[in-house]
Amino acid sequence: MRLDPVMLEILGNKLTAATEEMGLTLQRVGRTLYVKETADFCCALAGLDGRFFAYPRSIGVSGFVGLDCLPAIAAVGELAPGDVILTNDPYRSRGLATHLPDLHVIAPCFHEGRIVAYAWAFLHCSDVGGRVPSSISPTNSEIFQEGLQIPPLRLVRGGAIVPEVELLFRANSRTPDANMGDIRAMLAALEVGRARIARIIAQHGAEALLAAQQDLPDYAERRARAVLAALPEGEFRFVDYLDSDVVSDLPVRLAVALRLAGGGIEIDFTGTDPQLAAAMNIPSVGQVHPWLTLRVMALVATRDPGVPLNAGLQRPIRMIAPEGTVVNPLPPAAVGVRHAACVRVNDLLNGALGLAAPEVMTAANSGMIVPVVVAEPDGQGGRNVQVVEPMTGGTGARRGADGTDGRDPSISNLANNPVETVEAELALEVERYALRADSAGPGEWRGGCGLELVFRIGAEGSLVLARGMERALFRPWGTAGGGPGAAAEFTVLREGALDETLRRVDMLELRAGDRIRLRTAGAGGYGEPFRRDPAAVLHDLRQGLVSPEAAERDYGVVLREGVPDLEADLEATAARRARGGATAPWGSAREAWEAVFTGAAMARLSAALAALPLARRQPVRRALYAAVLAHLPADFPAAPAPAVALEAARRALATQLDHIAPEGG
Amino acid sequence: MNEAVVQEARARIGIDVGGTFTDFVLFDPAAARLLRHKQPSTPEDPSRAVAEGLAALLEAAGLGPQAVGLLMHGTTIGLNAVIQRRGARIALLVTEGFRDVLEIGRSRMPSSLNFHARKEEPLVPRARVVEIAARFDASGRPTRWPDAAELDRAAAALRALAPEAVALMLINGYAAPEAEAELAGALASRLPGLPVSSAAALWPEIREYERSLVACMNAGIQPLMLRYFDRLRERLAGQGIRAPVFVTASNGGSLSLATARARPVETLLSGPASGVMAATRLARQAGVPRIITFDMGGTSSDIAIAADGEPEFATRTEIGGLPLVLPVVAVSAIGAGGGSVLRVDAQGVLKVGPESAGADPGPVAYGRGGTRPTVTDAYLVTGLIDPARFLGGRLALDSAAAHAALREIAEGLGLTGPDAAERAAWGALRVATAGMVTEMFKTLASRGLDPAQFALLPFGGAGPTHANLLAEEAGLATVLVPAGAATFCAFGAVSADLRRDYARSLRRRLDAEGAALLAARLAALEEEARGWLAGEGGLAQDATLRRAADMRYAGQAYELRVPLDGVAPEPAALAEAFHAVHEQLYGFRDRTATVEVGTARLAIIGQVAPVPLPELPAATQPLPPAATRAVFLGEGWVRAAVHDRASLRAGHVIAGPAIIEQADTTTPILPGWRAVVDGLGNLGLERAAA
Repeated sequence: MRLDPVMLEILGNKLTAATEEMGLTLQRVGRTLYVKETADFCCALAGLDGRFFAYPRSIGVSGFVGLDCLPAIAAVGELAPGDVILTNDPYRSRGLATHLPDLHVIAPCFHEGRIVAYAWAFLHCSDVGGRVPSSISPTNSEIFQEGLQIPPLRLVRGGAIVPEVELLFRANSRTPDANMGDIRAMLAALEVGRARIARIIAQHGAEALLAAQQDLPDYAERRARAVLAALPEGEFRFVDYLDSDVVSDLPVRLAVALRLAGGGIEIDFTGTDPQLAAAMNIPSVGQVHPWLTLRVMALVATRDPGVPLNAGLQRPIRMIAPEGTVVNPLPPAAVGVRHAACVRVNDLLNGALGLAAPEVMTAANSGMIVPVVVAEPDGQGGRNVQVVEPMTGGTGARRGADGTDGRDPSISNLANNPVETVEAELALEVERYALRADSAGPGEWRGGCGLELVFRIGAEGSLVLARGMERALFRPWGTAGGGPGAAAEFTVLREGALDETLRRVDMLELRAGDRIRLRTAGAGGYGEPFRRDPAAVLHDLRQGLVSPEAAERDYGVVLREGVPDLEADLEATAARRARGGATAPWGSAREAWEAVFTGAAMARLSAALAALPLARRQPVRRALYAAVLAHLPADFPAAPAPAVALEAARRALATQLDHIAPEGG
Repeated sequence: MNEAVVQEARARIGIDVGGTFTDFVLFDPAAARLLRHKQPSTPEDPSRAVAEGLAALLEAAGLGPQAVGLLMHGTTIGLNAVIQRRGARIALLVTEGFRDVLEIGRSRMPSSLNFHARKEEPLVPRARVVEIAARFDASGRPTRWPDAAELDRAAAALRALAPEAVALMLINGYAAPEAEAELAGALASRLPGLPVSSAAALWPEIREYERSLVACMNAGIQPLMLRYFDRLRERLAGQGIRAPVFVTASNGGSLSLATARARPVETLLSGPASGVMAATRLARQAGVPRIITFDMGGTSSDIAIAADGEPEFATRTEIGGLPLVLPVVAVSAIGAGGGSVLRVDAQGVLKVGPESAGADPGPVAYGRGGTRPTVTDAYLVTGLIDPARFLGGRLALDSAAAHAALREIAEGLGLTGPDAAERAAWGALRVATAGMVTEMFKTLASRGLDPAQFALLPFGGAGPTHANLLAEEAGLATVLVPAGAATFCAFGAVSADLRRDYARSLRRRLDAEGAALLAARLAALEEEARGWLAGEGGLAQDATLRRAADMRYAGQAYELRVPLDGVAPEPAALAEAFHAVHEQLYGFRDRTATVEVGTARLAIIGQVAPVPLPELPAATQPLPPAATRAVFLGEGWVRAAVHDRASLRAGHVIAGPAIIEQADTTTPILPGWRAVVDGLGNLGLERAAA
């Protein structure tokens, strides 16, 4: 350490507070909903190495602490006082930006003619052009459809915005004024950052600031390594799936191997599916990137809640993310909804870490974020568009604690919308917004319940969007003997028609009186449900979160009959539990799927695809799946398949693999 | 409505019940004097300390019980009940389909990274939430309404839960508070003896979760407050004190006991609010335009901002992890308190807080079993406070124990040598101060305010002790230390006006019709407010109304509070008032956008006869020569002059380093600063000219 332990604490506090002041300034001056309400922005201070040595604890997006500013800085060349860099380009900023609506700005902080730090800010702006309003659509297949790409360049030179840059930027957005308002808010935040750096130098000297840039990450790294060193050494492998790649019903397979040793961790995504022709790819450029390491950081912050947030947290991590996969796509892969894949990457890392640290990690969270949006005709040719609720589920159980019902902050800790403000804006009526009973994955500790939202359309011709429907097929897994959460369900209840349940939803047009019901998945359980304390089951019964049927079926708890209050029949319960009952962690769909598409086969496929030219991978993969699935029922794996069909499918898969990946060839 | 009419010529007593001490300030108009008293609190029955303190105070004043004309009482019973979830057993009745309004909340978690963090405990468990087929649409029209049988069913379901009180919240009830209150009445008639709190009747503002909490908090603390005030009145009656009791409120005003019993939720944050109001009034009297108040307690320190005689109000604060939307004096926690624990972490870094030793066991120096050193121990070891004179000598401090504890900290930091403990203590004060200043700057940054424009006004027992350290680090130019800083919340209570806030959401476009509706709503609120004040016992001499509305551009996610006093009730004038506020805050106006009115707001303030501060006579003699003591300030030991505050007169100037001692607090003056005594007995700290 270069600083004494008092000065380190003081500078750590001051620098963190400086970043929070930047964020508060941005939020105050910012103009759009993303900034004011959902706080999809952040500010921080980077050292000469381009990494953040000070990062806010209490305002803005916490996940981006591991970003690297240096490639963007290097791309622009020598900076002068009063310059500000702008970029939104994931590929040319080498993963600083991760989709085009995120505008990143960087300003050098000078002291006596030399750069001593960089102030950084980003925010999610309303629109940067592209195929659809707001620039984001899951069905985009190339980044060119997603809007204007801004390679790292000087937005501000000598304190003034470069007019040509503004002109070009404005011309490529549907919301130029709002965007410029947001940019001005970021510039104000950078100014606060520069002023705070100057104040700290005046109080403590430039050398102390430069020393803090090294000491603070060193300090965080030591604390992170202390957490990781407590885990057992070894390799831990895990697989999870996205239900579909949005443009088809084919699942997306994500695989990871974690290698833990001596307080370090290697994350290897070899075996993960090739990049998609949809917008779910995560542009990590193969680096130790926040989107691929969030659960590791969460583990550190969970075991050591006071750990400083800065780049030091990432230092124990080594990354292997093969090029051309979902987790390291090559241009021009579309990336607009990369968070949809990040949700599952988070589950994947959670599962693998759980093998190493079963007493700390949780079963799967519900693993879905579905902003339910309604667009009502406004009577003047336009539409009144509102988010009804951003629907998530609950969190997974862990040893010693049930999961959280109806809330899941693991990817974005967003606030929901008051039903009353929704009904004041739209003609619809929300009939139900509640926890979903019997949805929690059973376990000695149960998962968190999912949510249920029911609303009745009030305006003829309303459009409903529910993007991000997931976990309708592959359920949030349980662990250590716990069962999976209930699958998600999206149902359209039309007047005078049969109810229609959909696994994937993009956009629906509905009539007044039609109703929508969305049930989000429950989270996974932990430990064998028959070991759950009957008193805890009774508690859930009284709370109305578990039905008497589920209590007996899932938990082996038999109720006494003929008594006014809920009471367990302990003898009958013991007898029922003695008969046993195995709980499978995955749910039937995943079991059925993996009975055909085994780990060994998938490893072979993955290696074979990786050897092909990028453009060939998805077509070959699709053809293989089509050939195999032809032997199985149409609703496989949602419904079981006869043994003969499974056998035929397995044989077809073997043939296909021999064709594209000859053994020994 | 009110039981007694206030006698103006008689004594008024302000009472503030804290965790460690119950503070009293007596204003005796006949003798134009102020008396202060501190009584150890009795947490198992707070009314005992109140009664005992009153007896001691009256004796000191030489007054009999009949001389007391008014008691202004601040209490934290409600606050503690909410924070500790120890309120009464209540049931919640909600619109069918919304049983989980409290479970879901605003759906955020305390941390996005720490996956062992738990969500807040709901005020009412799901098992005690009952549903009823009743709701309105956004215009307030009932779209489902219970018949007698449905009401009977709901009442029976509630009764089966054996609650002490019931809260009611119907979706869109804010748009039809009268109808919801009617339903609450129909329910109450089926549930004899059970109070029913209607969310919309209490606070008809849009947002069902936050409104539910208002009703649940009200219902949950009501039985406790009723019991407390019944017991207090019994004790007072036993002492012969028959004066009416008023209760201070979170908005800095006060309410008659009758109002407080019906709406106890309004008193939740009264303690800090009273102190800020007193500071605001004092600053106005002293001619200081902008202040940051600084209240340092045992577990944390709070600041508030006041400009031009008005404190800042907030309509979204947090209590025990739950949002509260009632207007309250805006107070922000900024970190360490006197009881915050000092420690060295596994990496050898010095930490202050967030754990607190509180009042029990308290700092090591208290000798009550505390083994972990605190900020107060650091004051003692550096010599900033005198172990023999702490709290006027009523609590002898163990210097040796504090010193030994700080020496352990020093070892953890690798400090050696004769002054290692002192250097560790000074380091801890620097860490604590830097932490407070960073939080203060963030509070100012979120409002776009410049700290250099503000004077610091410390109160509470430790506020004056830390004020100069804070001002020095923050670069503030001046500090104003009031004479009665240590009992300032009680002073705020005795000088409190009557005040109530009202709100009613409309959610309308600001056209001719919307403007008319806004005017009608404000007129109705005014009528309600004036009716309330008239029933409060004639304490108020005069009434002031403040009107405002929350407005926004259509589609905007946030609303701005627009003061409407002096604004014509026409669309153009109202819109202009909004544009102007928007431009001032955000730097632009959008003339093309539709303006919408969210919530109409009105406050009524009934002015109570002011409590004049006694004047401090001007100095006729130079300051008497002072004793000195050694104080460890960073670089080493310095000799500081020690003055007794009671010996100071207006016009005296004391150069730092110096220590001003008084019975209930200590004010250090750092080198490079000086203190000027003003005619109200305040110490004005300022940087000495170089």
